[in-house]
Amino acid sequence: MEVKLESFNNWQVIKVCGQIDSKTVGDLRDFIDSELKEDQPVALELTEVPFMSSAGLRTLLTLQRKTVDMGVDLVLVGVSTEIADTMKVTGFYQFFKVVEALENLHGAA
Amino acid sequence: MELERIDNIPTETISGYRVRPGKPLPFGVSSVPGGLNFSVYTSAGTSCTLVLFSRSEMSPLAEIKIPDHYRIGDVYSIAVYDLDYEDIEYGFRIGGPFEPDKGNRFDPTNILMDPYSRVIAGRDEWGVDPDWDRAYQYRSRVAFDDFDWQGDSPLEIDDAKLVIYELHVRSFTKSDTSGVKFKGTYAGIVEKIPYLKALGINAVELMPVFEFDEFENSRTHPDTGEKLYNYWGYSTVAFFAPKAGFASSGRFGMQVDEFKQLVKELHKEGIEVILDVVFNHTAEGNERGPSISFKGLDNKIYYMLTPEGYYFNFSGTGNTLNCNNPVVRNLVLDCLRYWAAEYHIDGFRFDLASILGRDPWGAPLSNPPLLESLAFDPILSSCKLIAEAWDAGGLYQVGTFPAYGRWSEWNGKYRDTARRYLKGDNDQIGQMAQRVQGSPDLYQSNGRSPATSINFITCHDGFTLADLVSFNDKHNEANGENNSDGGNDNYSWNCGAEGWTEDLGIRALRSKQSMNAIGMLMTSRGTPMLLMGDEFGRSQHGNNNAYCIDSEISWVDWSLLESNRSLYEFTQALIRFRHQHECLRINHFDHHGSSHFPSCSFHGTTPWKVDWSPESKQLSWLMSCDNIETGLMDAVYVATNMAHYATWFELPTLPNEYKWQLCFNTGDSDNPCQALPVDFSDSGILAGERSLLIFTVSPRET
Repeated sequence: MEVKLESFNNWQVIKVCGQIDSKTVGDLRDFIDSELKEDQPVALELTEVPFMSSAGLRTLLTLQRKTVDMGVDLVLVGVSTEIADTMKVTGFYQFFKVVEALENLHGAA
Repeated sequence: MELERIDNIPTETISGYRVRPGKPLPFGVSSVPGGLNFSVYTSAGTSCTLVLFSRSEMSPLAEIKIPDHYRIGDVYSIAVYDLDYEDIEYGFRIGGPFEPDKGNRFDPTNILMDPYSRVIAGRDEWGVDPDWDRAYQYRSRVAFDDFDWQGDSPLEIDDAKLVIYELHVRSFTKSDTSGVKFKGTYAGIVEKIPYLKALGINAVELMPVFEFDEFENSRTHPDTGEKLYNYWGYSTVAFFAPKAGFASSGRFGMQVDEFKQLVKELHKEGIEVILDVVFNHTAEGNERGPSISFKGLDNKIYYMLTPEGYYFNFSGTGNTLNCNNPVVRNLVLDCLRYWAAEYHIDGFRFDLASILGRDPWGAPLSNPPLLESLAFDPILSSCKLIAEAWDAGGLYQVGTFPAYGRWSEWNGKYRDTARRYLKGDNDQIGQMAQRVQGSPDLYQSNGRSPATSINFITCHDGFTLADLVSFNDKHNEANGENNSDGGNDNYSWNCGAEGWTEDLGIRALRSKQSMNAIGMLMTSRGTPMLLMGDEFGRSQHGNNNAYCIDSEISWVDWSLLESNRSLYEFTQALIRFRHQHECLRINHFDHHGSSHFPSCSFHGTTPWKVDWSPESKQLSWLMSCDNIETGLMDAVYVATNMAHYATWFELPTLPNEYKWQLCFNTGDSDNPCQALPVDFSDSGILAGERSLLIFTVSPRET
């Protein structure tokens, strides 16, 4: 798994490539803790994430709580249908704003 | 300053893992800072090794022999650090004597499942053939217990207000006709919540959802070649784990979250969740069955054994869990507390509950400690406790089940009486009068209430409602047992032809009889329970024991919702009617009634005169109470004519300020339920053959 911080308009974009599971989730969490700016909305770009495990989804929820505390928006971008289905049936989906692509971000904010 | 606890620091390394002595409680696996605590009980075992696997791997990652000085009493516990919670699977090897004649079956070559496992891997997707070469089949995993309930808690609906709907998770939405995305799963039920809400029920009772193995005793039908399963799942593998194969996310190990999401969504719509739990036996069978967990951990503690070490079989399925042993009793209590606290479960229905009242040698106890513990448990105090008050060993306790003021019962006598009255058997009027008022003959003298009686005419065991009125005999050939399985006392009547028919008269009569049954059920005191799909005529084609069938025979055919629309609408209207009329839900046998009528009175074709003779086929009941808020009388009059000819019923005289209104008439096939109650000024009404009519009262406008 690789994580990069990019930007799109006023959004800080965390772009993840690769599987998010218990083996990689620590790196993502460390990245978020160290790189996230306090005053900008956050987009988590997941187009290149083929699979997310239970631990991965829980980290997403931790990020969601963190952005709520910071008072900034969080949007998930490009969630695969399979991951979205898993998130829906397990109750995670309802906590997030989700858009298909970065270009759709304005409508979500 | 936050101090780091010194008891979180590993003390030694075993098999490459940093460890320290664990905490004996809680049993099973629990999280400690930096590691996991494992704890397991064995009273006669002489050694314990924790076996760790990476997910799905054939060979262990490590085997950690728990040092003897880590044992306190009969409990081995160890904290292991630096484990990947999500990836790890674990089990135990327990050393000790293999002496079956003395009740000991220890075998350290076998890896045992943790009886407190909250997640089981190995049967992740329904019906996918397991790899039988694996030494370790049902693999304990670590659960995430951090679901966000967002303020949800058990609903605590008054017992007397419940309308229960019994369903099988897979059968409910597996058919393509269900129209849901996640077919046959917990998530599929969520998609059907709007339907359940519209129907008006306020509790679902789920057939077993504790992890079981659909491949247990699976076989092939000798004639058709069809695969036969342990479909219903009345054979528990792991009491603390939800069945993975019922979760669309089971292949990702997320069944815990998916099941909790189901409970949360049902609660949002005011629907309680009752679990059908099976504590009378386990999937380990008798001496020929597999050693999954209990057998290898402490055989003679967990099972009732003969002096020679064989298994008592009061369950009819091979073994009997030794529920009144204090250790086993605590396991049952821990389990139910876990489901109530962690899953917000509203109630439990206990399969063959009479077994839970037997002592270790099988004799019925007058004051069974397990049943008493459950009745007075602080965490379970608001949970419904429902007994199937009989067992396969001949104990039949409907009306005498040790209730401690808490337990209710599946009322098998209600089922049998209602069926016999419905088909026009003689000698049913007196019995029926008892059943309709909540079975005071069973529950009054011992201080219990009408809601003690779970009234039902059909349940998963036996015919569906449509089959009850379409078959005289069971047709269980699809089960591959030469039609020898399943009950023979069905009290069913096919209305003139066995099975499917083109005869419109017979079909109309069946539809009417179905409505009659639901009409009786919904106007009886006690707690009504419907079987899934009965509200639109679900059939199992005469199979009264489809425990092994994973096909359209078992699956709910949702296309019937349209073809049997009138039955659905009738049921829906009647459930609404029940919710509207408090007089049907009075939960005291000594209720004084209303200002004008007794609480429950019986009538015949003439008011206040019942023909109690054996041949009588007419019975009416009038239930009444005063509405405290409005001061008005609530009254419901139900006339039933189960004769094959029409009969005139004179209505009881009302006080001048009230008038009768007709709400339901199954004899009027075009219009069995009135959209709006119709004022009724005649002194009586002709009840058609085999018909049921329901009236209510309305104040006259002055």
